[in-house]
Amino acid sequence: MATALENSKKWIRSRKGQQVLICVGFTVIPLLLLFVFTYLPFGQMVKFSFYKMKYSTPVDKRVFVGWKNYIDVFNRKDCFGALKLSLYYCFGAIMQLVLSLYLATVLSFKVKGGNIFKGLMFFPYLISGIAIGFIFKFFYTRGFVLDTLLAGLGINLESLPYWLKDQKVNNWSLVATSVWRYFGQNMVLFIGAIMSVDAELYEAAQLDGANRFQQFKNIILPSIKTIVTLNIILSITGSLSAFEQPYVITNGANGTGTYFVVMNEIAHTSQKVGLASAMAVVLLMIIFGCTILQKLFFKYIFRDANSEDESYAAKRAKQKAQKKADKESKKALRAVKAA
Amino acid sequence: MKRKKVLALALASTMLVAMMGCGNTSESSNSGASENEGAADLTSYEDIVLGEDFTDLEATITMFNNRTDLDSDDYGGVTWKEYLAAFNEVYPNITVKITTDTNYADDALTHLQSGDYETIMGIPAIDSADFSTYFISYGDLETMSKQINYADEKMYQQEVYGVPFTATTQGIVYNKKVFADAGITETPKTPDEFIDALKQIKENTDAIPLYTNYAAGWTMGVWDMYTGVSATGDEEYANQKLLHTKDPFKDYGDNTHPYSVYKILYDAVAEGLTEDDYTTTDWEGCKGMMNNGEIACMVLGSWAVPQMKAAGPNVDDIGYMAFPITIDGKQYAKAGADYCFGINVNAPTDEQQAALVFVKWMAEESGYSYNEDGLPVATKNTETKLSFDGVDFIDDAPSIDGEEDLLNELNAESELNVNNGGDRKIQELIEHASIGDMTFDEIMDSWNQLWTDAQDVCGAEIQY
Repeated sequence: MATALENSKKWIRSRKGQQVLICVGFTVIPLLLLFVFTYLPFGQMVKFSFYKMKYSTPVDKRVFVGWKNYIDVFNRKDCFGALKLSLYYCFGAIMQLVLSLYLATVLSFKVKGGNIFKGLMFFPYLISGIAIGFIFKFFYTRGFVLDTLLAGLGINLESLPYWLKDQKVNNWSLVATSVWRYFGQNMVLFIGAIMSVDAELYEAAQLDGANRFQQFKNIILPSIKTIVTLNIILSITGSLSAFEQPYVITNGANGTGTYFVVMNEIAHTSQKVGLASAMAVVLLMIIFGCTILQKLFFKYIFRDANSEDESYAAKRAKQKAQKKADKESKKALRAVKAA
Repeated sequence: MKRKKVLALALASTMLVAMMGCGNTSESSNSGASENEGAADLTSYEDIVLGEDFTDLEATITMFNNRTDLDSDDYGGVTWKEYLAAFNEVYPNITVKITTDTNYADDALTHLQSGDYETIMGIPAIDSADFSTYFISYGDLETMSKQINYADEKMYQQEVYGVPFTATTQGIVYNKKVFADAGITETPKTPDEFIDALKQIKENTDAIPLYTNYAAGWTMGVWDMYTGVSATGDEEYANQKLLHTKDPFKDYGDNTHPYSVYKILYDAVAEGLTEDDYTTTDWEGCKGMMNNGEIACMVLGSWAVPQMKAAGPNVDDIGYMAFPITIDGKQYAKAGADYCFGINVNAPTDEQQAALVFVKWMAEESGYSYNEDGLPVATKNTETKLSFDGVDFIDDAPSIDGEEDLLNELNAESELNVNNGGDRKIQELIEHASIGDMTFDEIMDSWNQLWTDAQDVCGAEIQY
């Protein structure tokens, strides 16, 4: 017994033992946290979606209703009607990506005061969503910031819409807020990706007479396509689950209630926890669907770029091998000389 | 290197502790519950003699409630700090820790659901049948009715689970000076008189006649509170008759009932008697505007009066009037309890005892209801700053035995949430009134439809 204990102690202290322990430790803890705080609650939510219950209903009084909640989700006007609002946010997301890609490309070349611009444009992302809500409530209030600015440009106040009251405009106002907040973050991600492009390629392209747009199209875009795809997927799923802007600025009232806001209302005001959970599961399925479609779409779109990219990678590998071989031979030469 | 190890250890141990914390709550609550079954040693609310019993009791208790403004030293009235100081003069060894929250109604539910909640809590919207799961009973209705008014507010099967600290009434807070400037000499008593008064204000002054507070949300749900006693003069309407009324939102043709309440709002918006841009109203800002005379009136409970007075120099301009609906020549106002406070059923006995003492002290001795311009809670107190001449105060009668949760179910099923945070439907009413895409009668018809469907699902008989 004592020797066994001694042995295991020795094993723990040994290099191999440490390796195993650390490996196990580093996998178990994150997995455990992930399980406890993500998968377990998610499982519970899926379970809730089959019950008729309120938050405060004790476990034994919850009524199992089968698929009824899911049927309700598809039958109710407000649930899927709210998804239409996502189209506004989708459009905003695309604008945001184009804008940030453009700015990232410009800023990744040598620009005077480039870092200041980067900082200024990234800054909105650092402000908390609640604060942004307050800022924009005042920004859009009749006769406040935006109206004053536009009046300064000579536009008559009478001809301006009520930015949050007019239901034709208010969703665009909210989308603009969202774009304002997130485009800086997208831009920084793009800049990071563009930085990794080999600068020699631009030089070579310039020698061949390529202009900036051609450089962008043929060098930058193919090189950062993974991050572009990722950002598009994130933006589309983000626009399906838009919540913060409508919730904080308009409280989801006046025709700005997105799917999440409606879900929140159903879960917390009407206390239909089962129905809200079902809505969440349905949205998850929709997001899954969208993501898969996008994946397929990009696979199709980037098929040509892909092959080019591969050949580029292959070229680079070849070049490297060549260089290595050169060095080796030089070394050998030197060794021979020394001898 | 060593420092890193220590750090890692510390991190790991905090995580462990955090996880154990999660596990522990249920255990401790279990043991607490079992202690309680033999809680004969708890002196009941009725038997506590304030200032004599338990003056040497030592305990630390917590309280959770919605009055964030009382946390601030800038508050015009008496703050929590001052109440606690007065309490500790008599009970020096009972420490009360008060937490407040602006989003109380939601967060309180979360606290309860977690199982780890404060010793004293303002009871949020939970089903009456679940009161005993979370709170101790103060005693049966008969005994408690002798002690406090509004004992039946949080009652289930004749047991009382909540004691309010103050009671409020429902009316309209207005700026007397603006009304006088507009040439209105008598407060309006019917919907037509009220709309006329608003028009007069619009013509004769620069003030916004009626400020909706649309953006804040909860200020919209407040309109539901006038559909009971104020609109019908019937104490049984809100909790008993509404559940069994066929099409409760229909036009009764005599300027009464819920129809007239909501119609006032619809007409005021449709005729441009409210603020220009309702989507950007500002709740904190409106208090000062009311005080300065930029707003003529707002539909809010009497609890709002001290806040409007505190928001500026014109304390005497702020007045309070009954809701402009007259039933057979008489006006009525609902007098109802504010948040009722319940005591954690899982707390140790000595903490429950201390909580009982504190609740009784707040209700009887603290002067809280007087300071907050409310109506008295303890039966022995009668002082109040409110004066409603010629208006009858009536409290809503509680629901019939066995139907305690029917209203909640109907509300949830119909999603109208009458008197239960149904802000959205009233916001939509304003939107429709402003855009003009739905007439008032169409809106009421759709609500009637929702209510009727819910009555079918929940099995509520039609009796009226």
